[in-house]
Amino acid sequence: MLTEVKNQLHVILLSVKYNIMREMTNRVTFLMNVSFMMLNNAAFIIQWMLLFRLKSDIGGYGLNDVMVLWGLSAGTFGLAHVFFHRAFSLPDLIIHGKLDSFLVQPKSVLLSVITSATSSSAIGDIIYGYMILTIFNFSFSNLLLFTLFIILGALILTAYAVIVGSLSFWILRSEMLSENLNNIMVNFQTYPDGIFKNVIRFLLYTLVPVGFVVYQPLKIILHFNLMACLGVLAFTIGICLLAFFVFYRGLRRYTSSSLMSARI
Amino acid sequence: MDAITVNQLSKTFRVKVKEKGLKGSLKSIFQPEYKSIQAVKDISFQVKEGEILAFIGPNGAGKSTTIKMLTGILYPEQGEAMVMGINPALKRKQLSYQIGTVFGQKEQLWMHLTPYDNFKFFGTIYDLKDHEVEARIEELKQVFELEEFINTPVRNLSLGQRIRCEIVASLIHRPKVLFLDEPTIGLDPVVKENIRALIKKMNREYKTTIFLTSHDVGDIEKLCKRIIIVNHGRIVLDDSMENLKYHYLKKKVVELKLRDAVDLSDEDGITVLKSKGNNVKLEIDTTKKDISDALKLIDADNILDINISNIPLENIITEIYKENRQTLMKGSDTP
Repeated sequence: MLTEVKNQLHVILLSVKYNIMREMTNRVTFLMNVSFMMLNNAAFIIQWMLLFRLKSDIGGYGLNDVMVLWGLSAGTFGLAHVFFHRAFSLPDLIIHGKLDSFLVQPKSVLLSVITSATSSSAIGDIIYGYMILTIFNFSFSNLLLFTLFIILGALILTAYAVIVGSLSFWILRSEMLSENLNNIMVNFQTYPDGIFKNVIRFLLYTLVPVGFVVYQPLKIILHFNLMACLGVLAFTIGICLLAFFVFYRGLRRYTSSSLMSARI
Repeated sequence: MDAITVNQLSKTFRVKVKEKGLKGSLKSIFQPEYKSIQAVKDISFQVKEGEILAFIGPNGAGKSTTIKMLTGILYPEQGEAMVMGINPALKRKQLSYQIGTVFGQKEQLWMHLTPYDNFKFFGTIYDLKDHEVEARIEELKQVFELEEFINTPVRNLSLGQRIRCEIVASLIHRPKVLFLDEPTIGLDPVVKENIRALIKKMNREYKTTIFLTSHDVGDIEKLCKRIIIVNHGRIVLDDSMENLKYHYLKKKVVELKLRDAVDLSDEDGITVLKSKGNNVKLEIDTTKKDISDALKLIDADNILDINISNIPLENIITEIYKENRQTLMKGSDTP
């Protein structure tokens, strides 16, 4: 069992390494992707600075808090897309029968699939996340917590993408739905949770669990709370297990690329 | 021992049916209709260890669906398949150590890596130790003559070189059964011949069981001793190549260049395939009329040139695709 996990991890790391090597094939494009993503993210700092000139408190957050929120958001997104980029295009793989080559290999289909591509611009997101933390709220403990939470957040984002992407096993042409749900996850990460009330707030901790990706982590970074920390960890484990369950249930319905249903 | 045992395997796909036009599209949103298409119907067969089997059929016959059920890609709806004693639907991972797959139309190799790096990656996937992979690469490099391009990125290789690498990648873990789905598609005749020779060599040297699907009759004729033809999801023929030729090559094609035109259209056992001026192409059913009897119908002095040949295997297969095997056999056996 332990050897199996070790071998699986070895394949994942090798896969990620080869993905990054592929992205680096064109040096100029690679560096442009990374730096432009950082620049793109930085543009939002100005927007928030202007807003905080008008009002010092937005949804219970100050400028530094919003910036760390952005850092967490960029870090989780970046990490998820560097390691598990294909999780976000799962419907395309399912609908167009591109899982075949992963199914004939003696490794976890899900892990092999989601680690089979990377996004070079996502490296810019990770660097940007750490830069923001360094500028706006740096301490050694914050650095450790930030690293822990972007790892957990990336796992939640990926698991969520796998769950909504796996809908394609059951619902034909559900790629738009899963794309929208993934976008909602990202969009809601960049606003203070204090501005959301009642039903929306409930949804942000259930159907679109942004709360566990950035809101709770931010609160823990600002005021450490072990129980809250364990809560995020438990949620991460739970959603990852659910992602595996949903994907493998759906896999039984996989029709490969003979795609008789596509000829409708 | 049997490498593959298939027992009454079936698979049905559910297909959405839509009426034409925008109205049909709107209707299908609110009242979707589905129909079932049975891609594979009660298929049963066995393949012995070390055998090279051609599994062929026209497009949509169910051969890819069958191969995918045998490799664990698709779950069968009914029936059971065992490959090297393992049920693909239940123990996919365990099975993958025993099988190799090459899908001619789907690349498994990383395009930006060299074949060598690719083989190392596949070695890791199959949990091989470094020195084992190195030894295996060295061995396969010799057999498949990869020396020239083993360190060239895959994207810069020709199609033939790439297919060779695809086959090597699928052999890295010494599979007992190799599934080849259209391995020579898009290749030129010389490279095709080369790939066929390598497949034969592999079968001879490693005793690998080979399950081949191809639309190329040359692949089938030159590699396989046994042939299974599927059509409309059912097996319509399961026979040795020798028997196939014995049963079906009872017809000869005679091409004649004559001094004066001759009408043979009313003769029993003779079918005029083509007649243009003094050139005629005849098909002679040797169960009804001997070649010599047929030729006696034409004055020897009238013949300027003659060519007698067997019906190409391609035509035989096409005929089997079109008709039910039993009907065809009955027809050819009629004295």
